[in-house]
Amino acid sequence: MHDVVTKSRDVTLLEVLDRVLDKGVVISGDAVISVADVDLIYLGLKVLLSSVETMEQLRGAPITGPMQEPT
Amino acid sequence: MTENRLVYLYCVTNEEPKLTETKDLVDNLYFFCHRGLYAVTSKVKESEFGEEGLKKNMADLEWVKANASTHEKIIEQVMANADVIPFKFGTLFNTDDSLKAMLEEYSEEFKTILRKLKDKEEWGVKIYCDTNKLKESVINNEPEILKIEGEIKSSPPGKAFFLEKKKTELLAQEVNRKINEYSQESFQLLEELSFEARINKLLPKEVTEREDDMVLNSAFLVGKNEVGDFINMVDTLKMHYENKGFFIDCTGSWPPYNFCGFSNQKVRNA
Repeated sequence: MHDVVTKSRDVTLLEVLDRVLDKGVVISGDAVISVADVDLIYLGLKVLLSSVETMEQLRGAPITGPMQEPT
Repeated sequence: MTENRLVYLYCVTNEEPKLTETKDLVDNLYFFCHRGLYAVTSKVKESEFGEEGLKKNMADLEWVKANASTHEKIIEQVMANADVIPFKFGTLFNTDDSLKAMLEEYSEEFKTILRKLKDKEEWGVKIYCDTNKLKESVINNEPEILKIEGEIKSSPPGKAFFLEKKKTELLAQEVNRKINEYSQESFQLLEELSFEARINKLLPKEVTEREDDMVLNSAFLVGKNEVGDFINMVDTLKMHYENKGFFIDCTGSWPPYNFCGFSNQKVRNA
């Protein structure tokens, strides 16, 4: 596990992700390689959200347990 | 066997960055100067940050967490001694020269933004609402709802049923009204103490991992001399609202992610 929240002030990972993935200067064009054009970078927190759900499903759904809603 | 490397851009500043405490965050962190602007960068593996690799890694929450927080920490280091323009996570160039070409193209825009950001900080304010607690506060303080409650007690079952329905509707309306009123009022009071303010999209509970609902997600560009006033206002709002079911989460100072006002997409689409 990476120690991701080691700031002197009390800041959650949510706050970091809310900014780093979703805000900040966006540059596109010839100089920048094509990943900047890939939608997934712009999706930002939606990507995170789907990842969270994936993680929860992996973590929280034993094979014999009830099926989770796929939303 | 040397793997191809890409250039990852963290931030741009107009003062020489001090990168003393970033050694253990990433390998290959460096900066260079072009047209009076410093770009803080590192060399990353194409297998990890190239189009294919990044697509795969963005689905890995642990990878995203670790790398997003490294991105943030490096910018914060630079921010400790200089005004910064933070770039979005995953801004990548093929070579230093392609990054230089970008700096060349937008140097005036970046300098204008840096002048605007001088002596200012970004602060974030998120407000959450525990709807059940707010309901209690509304029930006990709204004369109309108290009146209906009285009527319900003295009414026959049929009439009481409809009154109960009316009360539920009224309560829901009133709760919504209060949420709007409190979050708008909070935003406006804080906006008055700021140079600029932004309202961002609300984040769902799956992301916040909180029981209560986010009702305001906002960011403020505050003058360094006004930060004290800003925090005092947040404390005042907490005093007024926290017993009514609201929770106010104020964080800062942040790199000015919300106030760099620059995207060259508009320019290109024009």
